[in-house]
Amino acid sequence: MNGVLEFNNIVRSYKKNLPVLNGVTFSVNAGEVVGLLGRNGAGKTTLIRIAMGMLYPDGGSVQVFGLSPTAKPVEVKKRIGFVAEDQVLPGGSTIGELIAFHRRIFPSWDEQMEGRILDRFSLAYTSKIRRLSKGQARQVALLCAVCHRPELLILDEPAAGLDPAARREFLEVSIQLLNREGTTILFSSHYMNDVERIGGRVVLLDEGRVRLDSDLDRLREDFCVAMVPKASAPSAAALRAVPGCVGARLVFEDWHVVFQAAPDAAEAQLKKSLGTNGINCVRVPLEEMFVELVGGKREKEA
Amino acid sequence: MQLIVNPADDLPLYRQIMRQITEALAGGRLKRGDKLPSHRDLAEQLVIAPLTVKKAYDELELLGFIETQRGRGTFVCDKLPRVKLADQREQMEMSARKLLSQAYLAGLGFDDVIKILKDAESELTHGRSAGNRRPIKEEL
Repeated sequence: MNGVLEFNNIVRSYKKNLPVLNGVTFSVNAGEVVGLLGRNGAGKTTLIRIAMGMLYPDGGSVQVFGLSPTAKPVEVKKRIGFVAEDQVLPGGSTIGELIAFHRRIFPSWDEQMEGRILDRFSLAYTSKIRRLSKGQARQVALLCAVCHRPELLILDEPAAGLDPAARREFLEVSIQLLNREGTTILFSSHYMNDVERIGGRVVLLDEGRVRLDSDLDRLREDFCVAMVPKASAPSAAALRAVPGCVGARLVFEDWHVVFQAAPDAAEAQLKKSLGTNGINCVRVPLEEMFVELVGGKREKEA
Repeated sequence: MQLIVNPADDLPLYRQIMRQITEALAGGRLKRGDKLPSHRDLAEQLVIAPLTVKKAYDELELLGFIETQRGRGTFVCDKLPRVKLADQREQMEMSARKLLSQAYLAGLGFDDVIKILKDAESELTHGRSAGNRRPIKEEL
């Protein structure tokens, strides 16, 4: 079996009858880099915590390296590196003390890698964690997450709140890891440019489900957005009935319609279905696609 | 050869790499037998996923522009694929009409178009700001 991480029909609610995750299924294969996307509250962190065995799902199952993270927590965690969104590091310790602690827990700790990353980030053993900037604290968290050479790296918004230069350094280290170790990575992020840089595939969570699961290049080439004048279509439902349409929403006087098709094919399909001419379909960067798919409140189906 | 990628561009990253390498070939900045950086080195240099660079290399290899020699690296092919002029001619004429109409609608004259072509020529052969025509609006 090739699936390093498998989510199978995961359901999880915090309040009764208000599921955050409502049947999420996807798997991550060895060596893949998957960007987990979704609006705030879409359930990205919940899903990641379930993968880490920090939360039980209400329904469905999760397997990491073919094991249950709650039944075999030590075996699973040995092979995972994890940086949480709100990672708390012990403020009173120095970087050196924190690293020494990790070295003792993980027999596979790689001191060469540790040295390289300290060097790259210009971190010193003697610095007190409390005195680090936000960016430096994240760098220390990343160092602690990767130096035991995990097979799977899970990053929950690793770059949130970092300045562009710090984000770029973070990406550089991630890419070196990919190159040298072939690490499988699942990371959630709101920085679409970062996702495009290191992601191979994106999974978009929306309303408790997987809204989109696609190779990034395919998303760029096989998806497009059309702007249709409001008067040309009676409702979002009518547009969504057009073959290939994966989403439609009204923005001022235009429908923004997302198609899973090349622009000329989508144009032809729109012309055939609505009888309107001259509708321009364009390919869009990931950020625009994100907004089109989960932005605004879409009109409810009739 | 200096490559630049921009995630906010219309083209997927692997296509941006392909385009810049074929432009360098067309302009003579890359020559037959030249060695390309390994896909891992290029990935680290550009800060993009190694698989993305590999995909660009694979596609270029399929098209017959480059070849990977086991254990030695990736090189520009000695024999580049011959493009049939007859097949391309019509497309070039179409591109030329498109360029002209775009320029005339923007109020430019024929001489301005010549200048645009000359600039493109020097970009292609000297690599000045190749692939960087669009303003980089990456970090907001």
